[in-house]
Amino acid sequence: MNKREAWALKRTEKKEEKLQRKYMKLSKAGRFKRWRNRRPFWGATLTVLAALVILYIPIHLYAIAFIPGSLVFVGFLFGGLLLIVGSFAYVYPQFSTVFGVISIFLSVLSVMGALGGFIVGSILGIIAGSLCIGWERREVVYQKNQQRKQGGGLKKVQSSDKEKQAQAAQA
Amino acid sequence: MEKNYIEVIMLERETNLTIGKTIKKKFIIAFLTGFLALGGLLAVFGFSGTAFALPLGGIGDFYVEFDELNGTGFKLMPHMGETGNSDAEPMVRNVIDEVEITNLHIYKDIKMPTGQWVRFHIRANGKTTISGLIQDARLIDADLSFNKLAIKEKNTDDYTKNWSQNADSITIKDATLVTDYLFQQAVSLQGAKISVEKIDKPKTTRK
Repeated sequence: MNKREAWALKRTEKKEEKLQRKYMKLSKAGRFKRWRNRRPFWGATLTVLAALVILYIPIHLYAIAFIPGSLVFVGFLFGGLLLIVGSFAYVYPQFSTVFGVISIFLSVLSVMGALGGFIVGSILGIIAGSLCIGWERREVVYQKNQQRKQGGGLKKVQSSDKEKQAQAAQA
Repeated sequence: MEKNYIEVIMLERETNLTIGKTIKKKFIIAFLTGFLALGGLLAVFGFSGTAFALPLGGIGDFYVEFDELNGTGFKLMPHMGETGNSDAEPMVRNVIDEVEITNLHIYKDIKMPTGQWVRFHIRANGKTTISGLIQDARLIDADLSFNKLAIKEKNTDDYTKNWSQNADSITIKDATLVTDYLFQQAVSLQGAKISVEKIDKPKTTRK
């Protein structure tokens, strides 16, 4: 085993350990924490917050929003879409990357028509979108004692098929 | 002992859990890309000196001063509008299609949570061109000259249509305007500077 492989193995072991610790913590956690853990909670929450900040300006200018050629309407549109995307990120966590990209795109464009919520909304939206993009969900299967001795521990399974296979193997 | 036993039972019952985590690498790449895009957009506006649909309103009185304004397609009408201190205050609404201003200075006094008053300045030393200007003013102190000025009165209960003043072109010199609402479809500020200074007392026109 060369140095590189050893380093890679060490890294994987560290990751496994981290997952184990998180698993132990979550197994004792309450319902809200588990619910929060299953979705990009902070990304979605910040997206909704950014949308509200961005919508602040168009809401104050609603009187001229529908004048032909007015860009205030565009501000309404971007802020509203961002609000929808943020809410959907709670419900459909599997699309978090797509929602993250859309959040960043809308936050940047909201500079036109809504001044990006005095830029604060845009910055919040970019952070929220990045959190959604960076979020990943892992199904962690707990391997019982026997399999752990054989070199298992906690096993990461990406797809539900793999999960089923692992459960069949355990049985 | 008993606690460990309960834990083991819980883990036996629930053999798989969904764990959500944020991948740092992905987060940083997305974060930097977002800021790069925002910076790019602001830079484009900065180079062209253009901001689209710049609204200023709902923050109370602010002052607009300039040396000279030349505008075309001028309309003036009575208006009732919200200010920082009141829900409805009488004012005039100026609508000008195309405007060119020299030495524009906008400033606003704001009380900080600490009790200290600060004044925000926006100055444009070069020429400022605006298209689609809507401005609500409580006070206009300036030298005005109009070209083809027409004042119309209508017998109606609607106070906004009761009286209007139109002109093909307008020239305003050495002006100070107490403004409560300002909207610009597109504005280009040449040599713009934004600064903040501490002040002892806010400027006021109320007695």
